[in-house]
Amino acid sequence: MSMQKAVDNSRSSNAGLSMDNQEKLLADALQNVRQHAFAMKRVLDQQSVMEGLKHAANMLGELRTSLLSPKNYYELHVVVVEELHHLELYLTDEFEHGRGSHDLYEVVQYAGNIVPRLYLLITIGHVYIRANELPRREVLRDLVEMCRGVQHPLRGLFLRNYLLQCVKSLLPDTEEENQEATKTGTILDSLDFILLNFSEMNKLWVRMQYQGHTRDLQRREQERRELRILVGTNLVRLSELECVNVERYKTIVLPKIMEQVVSCRDSIAQEYLMECIIQVFPDEYHLNTLNEFLKACRELSASVNIRNILISLIDRLTAYSTRDGSQQNIPENIQLFDIFSEQIAEVVKSRINMPPEDIVALQSALLNLSLKCYRDQFEYGNKVLENTRKIFDNIALDTQVQTGTPAAKELVKMLKIPIDCYDILDVLKLNHYKLVLQLLSYRERHTVCMYIINSILDKETIIPTAEQVTQLFELLLTLIIDQTDSPLETSRQTITNEDFVEEQNLVARLYNNFQAPNDPDQQYHIIKICQDTFKNGGLERMRFTYPPIIMQAYALTFRYKNIREQDEKWEKKCQKLFQLCNQLINTLTKLETNDLPLRLYLQGALAASEIGSENAETIAYEFFSQAYTLYEEQAGDTRAQSASLTLLIGTLEKVTCFAEENHSTLRQSLTQAATRLVKRPDQVRTLLLCTHLFWSAQRLNESTQKSEQVHDNEKVLACLKKATKLTTQIMDQSVQVQLYNELLNTYIYFFNQNLPDIDITLLNSLIEKLQNEMSKISSNENDEFIRNQIQKTFDYLRQQSQLEKFQGLQINN
Amino acid sequence: MDILGLGSKVDADFILDPQGQRKQIDVKIDDTKRSSQYIYYDGEDVSGTVQVKLKKNSKVEHQGIRLEFIGQIEMLNDRSTIHEFINLSKLLGFPGELTDSSSIDFNFGNVEKPYESYNGINIKLRYFLRLTIIKRFSNNVFERDICVQQLSQYPEINNSIKMEVGIEDCLHIEFEYNKSKYHLKDVVVGKIYFLLVRIKIKHMEIAIIKKENTGTGPNIYAENETIAKYEIMDGAPVRGESIPIRLFLAGYELTPTMKDVQRKFSVRYFLNLVLVDEEERRYFKQQEIFLWRKQDKDTDKTKQSAKQYAHYQRPTPANQSEENPTENSSVNEVLSSENNSDIPSD
Repeated sequence: MSMQKAVDNSRSSNAGLSMDNQEKLLADALQNVRQHAFAMKRVLDQQSVMEGLKHAANMLGELRTSLLSPKNYYELHVVVVEELHHLELYLTDEFEHGRGSHDLYEVVQYAGNIVPRLYLLITIGHVYIRANELPRREVLRDLVEMCRGVQHPLRGLFLRNYLLQCVKSLLPDTEEENQEATKTGTILDSLDFILLNFSEMNKLWVRMQYQGHTRDLQRREQERRELRILVGTNLVRLSELECVNVERYKTIVLPKIMEQVVSCRDSIAQEYLMECIIQVFPDEYHLNTLNEFLKACRELSASVNIRNILISLIDRLTAYSTRDGSQQNIPENIQLFDIFSEQIAEVVKSRINMPPEDIVALQSALLNLSLKCYRDQFEYGNKVLENTRKIFDNIALDTQVQTGTPAAKELVKMLKIPIDCYDILDVLKLNHYKLVLQLLSYRERHTVCMYIINSILDKETIIPTAEQVTQLFELLLTLIIDQTDSPLETSRQTITNEDFVEEQNLVARLYNNFQAPNDPDQQYHIIKICQDTFKNGGLERMRFTYPPIIMQAYALTFRYKNIREQDEKWEKKCQKLFQLCNQLINTLTKLETNDLPLRLYLQGALAASEIGSENAETIAYEFFSQAYTLYEEQAGDTRAQSASLTLLIGTLEKVTCFAEENHSTLRQSLTQAATRLVKRPDQVRTLLLCTHLFWSAQRLNESTQKSEQVHDNEKVLACLKKATKLTTQIMDQSVQVQLYNELLNTYIYFFNQNLPDIDITLLNSLIEKLQNEMSKISSNENDEFIRNQIQKTFDYLRQQSQLEKFQGLQINN
Repeated sequence: MDILGLGSKVDADFILDPQGQRKQIDVKIDDTKRSSQYIYYDGEDVSGTVQVKLKKNSKVEHQGIRLEFIGQIEMLNDRSTIHEFINLSKLLGFPGELTDSSSIDFNFGNVEKPYESYNGINIKLRYFLRLTIIKRFSNNVFERDICVQQLSQYPEINNSIKMEVGIEDCLHIEFEYNKSKYHLKDVVVGKIYFLLVRIKIKHMEIAIIKKENTGTGPNIYAENETIAKYEIMDGAPVRGESIPIRLFLAGYELTPTMKDVQRKFSVRYFLNLVLVDEEERRYFKQQEIFLWRKQDKDTDKTKQSAKQYAHYQRPTPANQSEENPTENSSVNEVLSSENNSDIPSD
C-alpha cells in the first residue's frame, strides 16, 4: 500500500511540474551544463580532443531530461547549443591548421546514449563536410536518417532543429548537370533532406497532442503552438534554396509537403503549416499551384479553420497583384478569380457544417480579390455578391440575418469592402450590393449605411445624376424612411435622440454632394427626387432633410438666372422652384418651432428679390407674409418674438423688389409689431431698427423699375421720438442707461446721414442726459459692460468733435 | 625458485623480435595487471634468442637447458586441471656448467597454433615459452607468454538476420541485422520496424552479450557478460516508424566466437535487443552473432570511411507480403520480458 502511494507521488510530480519545481530543475540543468562545458573547454585548450568529446557528451546528457516544460527545455537547448559551438569552432580550427583527426565521425558513435551521440554526430558531420573530410551528400543523408532514433517528440524536435541549423549553409544548391554534383550533392539532395526532416518533425509535433492525460489537453496545445516555429523552419529553409523554382516547387516540394500535411490529420498542424506555406513561398509559386493548393485544402481535417487559410492566400495574392500600383502582376493565363471562385464553391460544398460567417468571410476575401485585381470588371464583384445572396436564400428565403451574429458581422465587413476600394459611383454599378444589404437586420444595415455616407463625405464624392441619386437612396433607405424592423420605437426617432440627430445630419450633409455642375436641369431632377424620397421620411426627418433641398433650390434659381440668356424658360423654372420651396416650408411649419420655416421663408424672399424675375415681387411678398404670419403665431415667447422680428426687419431692409404699396404695408406692420412687443427694452431696440426701414430700405420705383431708398424723415424721427419716450419709462436704471446710449448712437448715425432736425444741440442734450443717468447707477460689475459701451461712444464723439460738422459738441466727461 | 633464499644467481630473457617488426598487443591479465605480448598466427615459426644471465663471478651447474613451447587451457576455478594441448620441446644445452652469460638461438618451425589466446572469467587459453635450467634440487624456470590470434577467411555464407517478434496484440516489431557473421572491426547495421505499438516504450537499446561456457557434465559453468550497452532509440515510436541501428564493434573487447575448444569451453556472442517501457519492464530478444577475426590489412580507405555512415538497405524483397506488414500478422517469436521495476505487477 505504501509502495503504491510512493509511486503515485512520483508520477504526479512528473506530470504536475509545478512552476517552482521547473525553475529549480532548469537552474540545476544549466548549472551542470556550465560545469561540463567549462571542463570541455579546458581540455580542448590542452588539445585533448577525446577528453573534450567526453565532456561534451556529458553536457549533452542534460538534454535527455523529460522533466522540463517545452519552454524551459528550449532555454536549456539554447545554452547547450551555444556551448557546443565552441567544440565546433575548435575542430574547424584544427582542420584549418591541418591537424584534424579523421576518425571522429566514427568515434562519437560509440557514445552510449543516443541523444548526446546524435548531437555530437551532427556537430562532427558539420565540421567534416566543411573540411571536405567526408562526402557532403552521404553525411547529410546519414544525419537526417539517424535522427529517427529520437522518437521522443520534444527531444526529437530540438535535435532536428539543431540539425537544420547546422546544415543551413551546407545544403547543396546547384543544378543536377554539374559534374561535381555527384560528390557534393545537388538541389535534389537538399530537397530530400529537408522534406524528410520536415515530415519527421511534423510527425513528432503532432504526436505531442496524443501523449499524456486528456485533462492537460489545453496546456499541451498551448505548448505545441509554442513549438510550431521549429517545424516551420523547414519550410523557410526550402524557400531559401535558390534552385527551387516554380517547376520544382510544383512537382516536388509542394506535393511532398501537402502529402505530410494532409496525412497528419491534425488540425493545429494543418492550420499552421498551410499558413506557413502561404507566407514563406513567393507569390509566383502560389499563382502556379493554385489548383493543387486549393485541392489539398479540401482534404484537410474538418476542424481546421479553412477560412483563415483561404483568406490568407487570397489576401496575399491580392496584395501581390496590386503591388506597386500596377495590376500587371497576375499572368494572363491564370484566371485567378475563376479558380478561387470555383474552389471556394467546392470547399463550401465539401463542408456541410461550415458556419455561415465562414462562408461569408470567404466570399469577402473573394470580393476583395475581384475588386482589387479586376478593378474594371464589375461582373466579378457582382457575381460574388450574387452568390452570397444565393447562399442565404438557399438556407432560408427572404429571412434576415439575425442581428449581432457572427454572420451578420462578416456581412457588414464584406459590404464595407467595395465602399473602401471604390467610390460610391462604382459601387452603384454592383447591382447585387443592395440585395446583400437587405439580408441584414436593422442595426447592421444602419451601420453599413452610415459607413457609406461617411465614406462619401470623406472622399467628397460628387454624385452628378438623378439616376445615381435614386440608386443611392435605394441603398440608404434604412436611414431615410421608418423601418419596420427598427428596434427603436418611432417615438424615439426624434430630435431628442442624439444618435438620430447625428444620423440625419449626415443624410442632410450628403445632400451637398449631389451636384450636377454643368446641368441645372439635372440638378432640378435631383431636387425633385430628393423631395420625393424625403417626403416619406416623416416630419422628424424632414427637419433635417428639407432645409438643404430648399437651400439648394434657392441656389439653383441663381444658376438659372446666370444662364437666363441661354434658357428662355428660366423664369418659369425659378417659379416652379419657389413653389416647391413654399410647399416644403409649409410642411415644416407643422414642427413645434416656427423659427426654421420662418428663416427659410425669409431666405426665399431674399432669393426671389435677388432673382428679380417678373413675378419676383409676388413671390417675395408671399414668402415674407408667410414669415410674418409665423411670427405672429409665436405670441407668448417674447424672446423668440423679438428675435424673429429682428430677422424680419433685417430681411425687409435688404429686399429690393417691393413696390411702395407692399413695402409700406410691411414696414408699417413691422413698426407696429415693434411697439406691440411686450417688453420695453425690446420695443426700444426694434423701434431703433425700424428707423432703417424708413431710411435705407429700398423699394421699387414702379415708373423707373429701379430701386430707391425710402428716406422718410418724419417717420424716422417719429420712431426715434417714440423710442426716446419709451426709454424714459424704463424702471431698471442700468438698462435705461444702456438704451440711452443706443439711442444716442442711432441719433449720431442719422446726424451723420444728415437727417434734418437732428443737430448738435439735440445731441448735446442727449449726451448730458446720458451722463446724468450714468452717474446715478451703481458701479457694480454688471454695469462695467455698459460703461464700456458708453465710453466707446464718447471716444468716438471726441474723435469726431474735431470735425467742422460736430462743432459745438459738449462732452464734459 | 632458489630454495636457499639467497636470490637467484641466474636470470633469463626472451628476445623474440630483434627487428621490432612483430605486432604487440596489450593484454589484460587481471583487473590490475596488463602486459604487452607479441602476436603470432597459426603455422608461424616461433623463434628467437634466449639470453641466460649470470650474476658476476658465479657459476651454475645444471643437468641441461630445455625450452618448451606450450599451449594450455587453465580452468580458473579449478587450478588443478590444466590441459596442455600442445607441448613442443627443445634441448638448448647439454648438462654442464654455466660460467658466463650466454645467448642461445632457437626456432620452433611452423608451429601449429589451433586456437586463439583467450583470457576469460573461468578459463584461460594461453601459449607460452618455458625455459628450464634443470638442476638437481630445483629447476630454474622462465616463462614468456605470447598471444595467438586466429585469422579467418570471409565467411562464404553470411545471411542477414531478420526476425519478426512481439507480444500478441501489444507490440510487433521486425528487426534486421545486415549480417549474421561479423569480424571484430565490423559494424552492425540494421533496422527496427515497428508494426504495432500499444505499450509506452521509453527507450530501446542493443547490448552485446558474451556467453562463456566451461566444463562438461555436472561441472558446467556458464557466465554471461554484457560487453556493451548501446541506446538506439529514445522515446516512444508509433506504428510505421523504422529506427536505424549502427553499432561499431571495434571499440569493444571482443574475441572471435569459439566453439567447444578442446571440449573444454565455448565463447559465444549475442546481440540483445531490449525495449524498456515506462513501467521499466524490459522486452528483449537475443540473437547470436558469429564473430571472426579478419586479417588486418590496409583496406581501401574510402570503403573504410563509408562504413561510418552505412545504412541498412533492405535487400530487394523476395516476397512482397513483407513489404506490407499488417497489424494482424502473427508473431513468429515471442519477445521475452522481465520486470525490473519495483511496481507490483498486480
